[in-house]
Amino acid sequence: MSYLNNPAIVMDNGTGLTKLGFAGNDSPSWVFPTAIATAQRSNTKATGASSGSSSIQNSGTPYFGNSTSATSFNSLAASALMSNNLAGKRGTEDLDFYIGNEALSASQGPSYSLSYPIRHGQVENWDHMERFWENSIFKYLRTEPEDHFFLLTEPPLNPPENREQVAEIFFESFNCAGLYIAVQAVLALAASWTSSKVVDRSLTGTVIDSGDGVTHVIPVAEGYVIGSAIKNIPIAGRDITLFIQSLLRERGEEDTSLRTAERLKQEYCYVCSDIVKEFNKFDRDPQKFAQFIVENTEKTKRKVIDVGYERFLAPEIFFNPEIASSDFLTPLPTVVDQTIQACPIDVRKGLYNNIVLSGGSTMFKDFGRRLQRDLKGIVNQRIALSESLSGTRSTGVDVQVISHRRQRNAVWFGGSLLAQTAEFKSYCHTKQDYEEIGPEIVRNFSLFNMV
Amino acid sequence: MPAYHSTFAADSLNDRMVGNVVLLPLKTNFRGPAYQANSDYDIIDECLDLFRANSFFKNFEIRSPADRVLIYGILFVNECLSQLKSSTSYNEALKILTNVALGDFAVPGTPRFPLNNVYSVPVQSHAEMDLLKSYIQQFRQELATRLLERLYADSKEGPSKFWLGFTRRRFMNKSL
Repeated sequence: MSYLNNPAIVMDNGTGLTKLGFAGNDSPSWVFPTAIATAQRSNTKATGASSGSSSIQNSGTPYFGNSTSATSFNSLAASALMSNNLAGKRGTEDLDFYIGNEALSASQGPSYSLSYPIRHGQVENWDHMERFWENSIFKYLRTEPEDHFFLLTEPPLNPPENREQVAEIFFESFNCAGLYIAVQAVLALAASWTSSKVVDRSLTGTVIDSGDGVTHVIPVAEGYVIGSAIKNIPIAGRDITLFIQSLLRERGEEDTSLRTAERLKQEYCYVCSDIVKEFNKFDRDPQKFAQFIVENTEKTKRKVIDVGYERFLAPEIFFNPEIASSDFLTPLPTVVDQTIQACPIDVRKGLYNNIVLSGGSTMFKDFGRRLQRDLKGIVNQRIALSESLSGTRSTGVDVQVISHRRQRNAVWFGGSLLAQTAEFKSYCHTKQDYEEIGPEIVRNFSLFNMV
Repeated sequence: MPAYHSTFAADSLNDRMVGNVVLLPLKTNFRGPAYQANSDYDIIDECLDLFRANSFFKNFEIRSPADRVLIYGILFVNECLSQLKSSTSYNEALKILTNVALGDFAVPGTPRFPLNNVYSVPVQSHAEMDLLKSYIQQFRQELATRLLERLYADSKEGPSKFWLGFTRRRFMNKSL
């Protein structure tokens, strides 16, 4: 029972980034791209041929086919050594991979191909994902899975079969002590408890989760996701970056790479209250124009880029999608309102009252304030209409958008909060439970009832 | 929040109208039929203020006759910008834009005008069409002059690159 005092491991595998760390910490110990670089197919073919021929070699024939690649073994001694055990029959190509930033740099070379095992929040390639987890645990966290409980995250509406697959990998491949799979939106709600605005620690609220690829609006009532009301917006971090890039190109700036656009987004952008007023502010106060300097890696050349209206125009595409896209035209506040209106009437007040932001693309200054103002406008208009139609006074709806310091890694942080509690382990399914009942045990997890 | 609308209230009883276009008063020294504006802020200032914001919008719902003047103004600003280069000096720009403003242009209602579906003007009445044409002429001259002030506010060497960046944007997907 050596695992009893070890902190749980919290892993949040997102489409873009993976967050890894130990429960109880403030921030994840590792954040890196959810990417894996595996040996190229041409190499695997070559080693496949050699492993096929290893049976011949076992019978004494010193013939190894034409395995000439540097990554597969081509020396006589090595093959003879390897052929005595299972690894010799299988080859080592399945150990030849990198994850995260190493994967990105490895894929620059010719012998590795890069892939992203998670698409739209869900695992697409289980083989790659298993190897990704393997490296995460042994190479990055450097822990023994037998000694730790694991908290993993899943997107809302994840099919239960995917959970079972995760459980199989974690219990059978890694032999982990215990497992809990939490919905990302619920963890993001838990993360908002650190904000001073939150008075009661309830798991009711609307989560706006905006990462790189897509923005979700997810209503959660008492810990349960209201799946029928979830809405997606095809506007997120990458669209903002592309929009900045197009503005830079229209102005003919010296450097219009995506990398530059992304850094401008992270360092200079903010949400304004009204774009016409903001244009006039720029006219009156030239201080608002900024300059951004790009240096090449050898620091020999410098490029100066003027930063102008994109500072406030770029995040504006959440509130006025029309300025950047031609097919999606509904502003974020309207989508949030529609989402909440699609929920059962008895939870709507709670959902309006606790709108929680999560993800990197919600980090713009005053994002929460603008969302709250616009949403309040929509709600008050509807209340006024219903009051005039019914002739009765409404008790009013309190709209509150909560931003907090942990927003960027909110899901991971929420997981860290929950997994450090004493009760956490009693909510997990243990290895013993798994062996007794089987993978279908993970179809249900009891909810945290935090007081 | 959709595109921005004109704040000038126009009603067909008090204001001079040609078809569904209102001839709003202007602050200008150019000769023409417009009345002198009695406030500091006229439709031309509004066109220049809203140009940058509205350039991003492809849809625009016309709410008042003043919006039609606004649309014309924004499209004209865009046309002016397309004539300038980043190296054009103030004096050259003055010449170019004066030519653009005074040059031949399509009056709403005539076949060359791109937005005839939103402008309805009495094409048969020569007097009214002449009035509209001379009003637009005056409007173009004044707008071009004030646009130049904004473009060359920082230096007389070249126009503001932040304004020139809007050249390729097409308000309502149209250009004059």
